[in-house]
Amino acid sequence: MAERTYLQAISDGLRQEMRRDERVFVMGEDIGAFGGAFKVTDGLLAEFGAARVRDVPIAEAGIIGTAVGTAIAGLRPICEMQFADFISCGFDQLVNVAGKMHYRLGLAVPMVVRLPSGGGFSGGPFHSQNPEAWFMHAPGLKVVAPSTPEDAKGLLAAAVRDPNPVVFLEHKHLYRRVKGAVPEGDHTTEMRARVARVGSDLTVVAYGAMVHAALDAAEQVDASIEVVDLRSLVPLDEEAILASVRKTSKVLVVDEANRTCAAGAQVAALIADRAFEDLDGPVRRVAAPDVPIPFSPPLEQAILPSSQSIREAMDELLAY
Amino acid sequence: MSSSPTETIVDIVLPAMGTSISEGTVIEWHKQVGDPVAIDEVICEISTDKVDTDCPSPVAGVVTEILVAVGQTVDVGTIIARVATGDGPTLSAPPDAPAPAIEEPAATNGHTSGASNGRSQRYSPVVQRMSEVHGVDLADVPGTGRGGRVTKRDVLAYLKQAPTESALHSDSPYIADEPAVAASTPPAAAPDDRGGHLQPLSRMRQAIGAAMRNSLQTAATCHTVVECDFTRVEKRRRDLGVTALPLVARAVIDVLRSDFPALNATLDGTTLTRYDRVHLGIAVSLGDEGLIVPVIHDAQDLSPDGLSARIKDLATRARAKQLAPDEVQGATFTITNPGRSGAVIATPIINVPQVAILDLEAVVRRPVVVTDGDGNEMIAIRSMVNLVLGWDHRAIDGVYAAEFLTAVRRQLESVS
Repeated sequence: MAERTYLQAISDGLRQEMRRDERVFVMGEDIGAFGGAFKVTDGLLAEFGAARVRDVPIAEAGIIGTAVGTAIAGLRPICEMQFADFISCGFDQLVNVAGKMHYRLGLAVPMVVRLPSGGGFSGGPFHSQNPEAWFMHAPGLKVVAPSTPEDAKGLLAAAVRDPNPVVFLEHKHLYRRVKGAVPEGDHTTEMRARVARVGSDLTVVAYGAMVHAALDAAEQVDASIEVVDLRSLVPLDEEAILASVRKTSKVLVVDEANRTCAAGAQVAALIADRAFEDLDGPVRRVAAPDVPIPFSPPLEQAILPSSQSIREAMDELLAY
Repeated sequence: MSSSPTETIVDIVLPAMGTSISEGTVIEWHKQVGDPVAIDEVICEISTDKVDTDCPSPVAGVVTEILVAVGQTVDVGTIIARVATGDGPTLSAPPDAPAPAIEEPAATNGHTSGASNGRSQRYSPVVQRMSEVHGVDLADVPGTGRGGRVTKRDVLAYLKQAPTESALHSDSPYIADEPAVAASTPPAAAPDDRGGHLQPLSRMRQAIGAAMRNSLQTAATCHTVVECDFTRVEKRRRDLGVTALPLVARAVIDVLRSDFPALNATLDGTTLTRYDRVHLGIAVSLGDEGLIVPVIHDAQDLSPDGLSARIKDLATRARAKQLAPDEVQGATFTITNPGRSGAVIATPIINVPQVAILDLEAVVRRPVVVTDGDGNEMIAIRSMVNLVLGWDHRAIDGVYAAEFLTAVRRQLESVS
């Protein structure tokens, strides 16, 4: 086990998969000589050469479309969106072409799209979004969102090896802030939820950066809080969620994304549907309001869920 | 008793709980002399023949007198308690002291405090389920949630300390250290020689028992059964999105009114009273607690949809103990439906003075002989049900009962 940052773990995952399987290649804007906007692909060009580390024009539809074509032809492309926000330019290729290929033609599209996502650093409305729900709603795509370095490496490897198109959300805020032990060598993580903290009074369901905010908040309350880290949004680990709810009977669902139709809305609906008789209080949600992420630092801090706002919601539910 | 110049004494009378109720028995006082009471807060519980109901205080104040003891039965309108209202709780003031200038007592309006009995009567799904599984009366569980809500933790805590019965016959040498537990245990819980536990029958069980014995001693009870092909009823009820019960009820009402008035009747000694209108009793199981028979008055005016809605409403309120006394009286015919629990035949007891009770049993798929339009016979799989009529031979004879059942059967088999 080596101590790695979240960013280094993703980098390690890319290297591991490219070394393991020569069909795997990466492409994206400025990912070669420059090493990517966040330096995730730094050093890959030197190790694997320009044929497998491809700089491409600023055209997301082209990047994703090329990935679909090469995947069908037998390669294992990993595309980097410079920021998750830009994927909207490649939406059609991903949602309509990649996602439906199996259903229309019976063809596997083993590709990964990496999305540096999330806010908290004054990136403004075009560089801070959490677009995972768009892709949860599109049949045929898998969506994963690791919160730890270990899972970042493991889920990336699992995504590369998966025969389906996988949207891989890597939270920018975690890149250099989160460090942890990561297994060296071949390591994959199953697309299932994990219990990040065991508790008995209240379940917090979160993923990505919000797992850390929830864990932080859990430390501050005088109660036994369970934190479920979803890790995978599609497939959604329903049994893990329900098992925790059956244990604690109170649930708080946290999204950094805008509230309406977010991943947490699906979790809340699942609980209402299948754990109704285990509930001892309303299913509460904490999420960003339905507005674009503001550039202004104090405004941004005001709308993003924080350990403070999560703690307040916890207190309210615990007292219910 | 003393009163300050500013206070007013308000009489609390036994409320009129329905036009047919003339008396009630106080079964529990929730307030004692000296207790503050909020407006509409429950001051005591009243029992009538079958229904228990809460008696709310019409005013806010302090209870100064309780005039009717638990178990005493008094007429509607009798003064059962007195409450002093005024500028504040005055009872604590020493006699003849000037009334202290106290402001409006806090928290007596609107939200009642968690510690009182006026706490929220809404329970979360998990709490309701636990109460059913463990047979816990939630009214006994102290609530620590918002506004005195009973939470899952409260039920768990209650269950942990609840099995006080075993403490009495425990061999533990430490039993003497727990006098509080022993003292709070009802003495009836002492074991007999076979290790059983005595359990006094609830008032409801006693009432049911007395009524059933009375019926068997009074009526000449007979039973007649017909088999009915329910295939069409099953289809129709699915189309309507209702259970079979309202369709059966509708058929029974029609048949009673058209051709069998002697069954829509009550028998008192030597006088049979027939009714043009059908007041239909529907037996509702309250689980282990017992059963109750709410009445759909003027059921003849309702469609199957309307009957379904009324049955659901009555059943829901029966289980929540929210029926008014009038709603369990005055039936002229009763339908019971134990078939939902899988029974295929039973011998229902007549709810005297009514003369008959129809028992709807479980619908089962059976091979039966059917005849097609050309008179060819064949074996088919049909949804069959037994309709059992419990009837009083003092009022009618077997032929009449059988003809009635056959008419009901014909009507149900031709439902479309």
